[in-house]
Amino acid sequence: MDISFVTRSDAESPLAAPRPFERFFRDQYSAVVRIAYGVTRDAHLAQDVAQDVFISALRRFPDPGKNDHARAWVRVAAVHMALNAVRGERRRERREQLSGVEPAAAADPEELLLDREDQVEVRRALSRLPRRAATVLVLRHSGLTYAEVAAAMNATVGHVGTMLRRAESALRKELDNASRP
Amino acid sequence: MRHVPSTQLRRLADEPLVVPDQALRHVASCGRCQNQSSDIAADTALAARLLSSPASIGDVDAEWARLQDRLREPGPARYHGRNPAWGMRRRLGSASLGTSAAAVAGLVALGAVAAAALTTIYAPTHVAPVRVNLADIRAIADITGLGPSQLAGGLPPAGSRRLAFGELTWSTAGSAHQVSSIGRAMAATHLTWSPPARLPAGVGAPSSVAIQPQVTVTVTFSRAAGPGIAGSTLQVTAGPVVVVQYGTKSGQPGLPTLGIAVMQRPVASSTGATAGQLENFLAGRHGLPASLARELRLLGNPATTLPVPVPAGLTERQVRIDGMPAVLIVAPSAVASAVIWESRNGVVFGVGGLLDNQDILSVARQVG
Repeated sequence: MDISFVTRSDAESPLAAPRPFERFFRDQYSAVVRIAYGVTRDAHLAQDVAQDVFISALRRFPDPGKNDHARAWVRVAAVHMALNAVRGERRRERREQLSGVEPAAAADPEELLLDREDQVEVRRALSRLPRRAATVLVLRHSGLTYAEVAAAMNATVGHVGTMLRRAESALRKELDNASRP
Repeated sequence: MRHVPSTQLRRLADEPLVVPDQALRHVASCGRCQNQSSDIAADTALAARLLSSPASIGDVDAEWARLQDRLREPGPARYHGRNPAWGMRRRLGSASLGTSAAAVAGLVALGAVAAAALTTIYAPTHVAPVRVNLADIRAIADITGLGPSQLAGGLPPAGSRRLAFGELTWSTAGSAHQVSSIGRAMAATHLTWSPPARLPAGVGAPSSVAIQPQVTVTVTFSRAAGPGIAGSTLQVTAGPVVVVQYGTKSGQPGLPTLGIAVMQRPVASSTGATAGQLENFLAGRHGLPASLARELRLLGNPATTLPVPVPAGLTERQVRIDGMPAVLIVAPSAVASAVIWESRNGVVFGVGGLLDNQDILSVARQVG
């Protein structure tokens, strides 16, 4: 069995991620997984999304270095892939409900920050918002500054405030609509 | 002045210092802008509450290892569903694993083998002692098919062993080798630490600096492992390791007085088998001493604890190095001692030698 692929210094292997990418991964992982969590509200699903983001990033930026475009790309990709994952999860839950299977219960301490119903409502509301609105919300509330959000979304800092205002208002309306009988 | 635009009112909620003074003065005197500002602040607070994330999610080392696993899979690396370790992290309560980067190579190897047999994914954050005796070592040797001398570091750089329940394979990223300085070792391994500036009396300059590249141990379960386990794989990676030996002040050859081992912590992963299946498999191993199983159970969270085997006859005490838990092991009559701990950034240290525990702790606190 060939197991040389997992060795840390096996940079010459075409299948191993090269060292510059490892540095990029370690620098960006925390931000990416937090952004994914902002959408999924599920630490494990966020970790899977982050994996997918970096797999895609490796193909686009095999030597990302200090590439600002690569940093911006992984952050926006984290939002989009997380939204896709949430929609996939909703489809799966619907299938399970139709087939009589109980959805898995959340057991993560992080998920207990909000109760289960709130988590589901937030996910649904985000997935109903326009992509750009959901993206600006999640990026800003994952801890990015206005300047970082602007760089990630290819917008001006002033426009971030406008987008953010509209997106927060839209989120509240979505939640209000969802809570009406 | 015209009313303040909602964009600026929004920014007032979380970056007030960048809002022009003129706008601030207007808001202070305009009821309409104040009302709008309150609405915006409420929406912002709601979004902040609902969208906040924990400060830390996941373990970057473990996730990097998982990414590497996915990259080597044939075909496109794509979404594979949930990490199989999650179920294990939630439910595994009766077992643990670990390798130790202790100064004592035999303990390291024993821990590595135990790790491979005990969990799907593992990235420890702190050490804890586990008492082992000769019977435990024999039992592990029986289960793994490896004798104590081989477990103590006598394995060739790569190879495999047929076990009763599958195949154990190991390989290294290169041969163990000497380098000319601690600086070169740091550069080659990306492990950085502070070599001690003040050495105990009688301890001379470094006499050798050796690197053991990363080691990967894989257990591939055969049909004999039973339903669910058969065909699955457990994999443990550990290292690289740097070992620095210090000579005597008098330059007497062949008598190391102090050793420092620095190792990237071990990470374990699994494919195929579920947590429950692995638990059942482990519980079904003939010959695992009840005392060892009990010691492992006492470790606490198995996913984050690195067991440090403490052989019978040695005394052990729990101390702290740089605020992190450490295990201090002292030989009878205090002729030798060692301390093992894991730093906050996932590097495992071992400092040991023919010194009393005060000297060893003094060196350790300079390194850590």
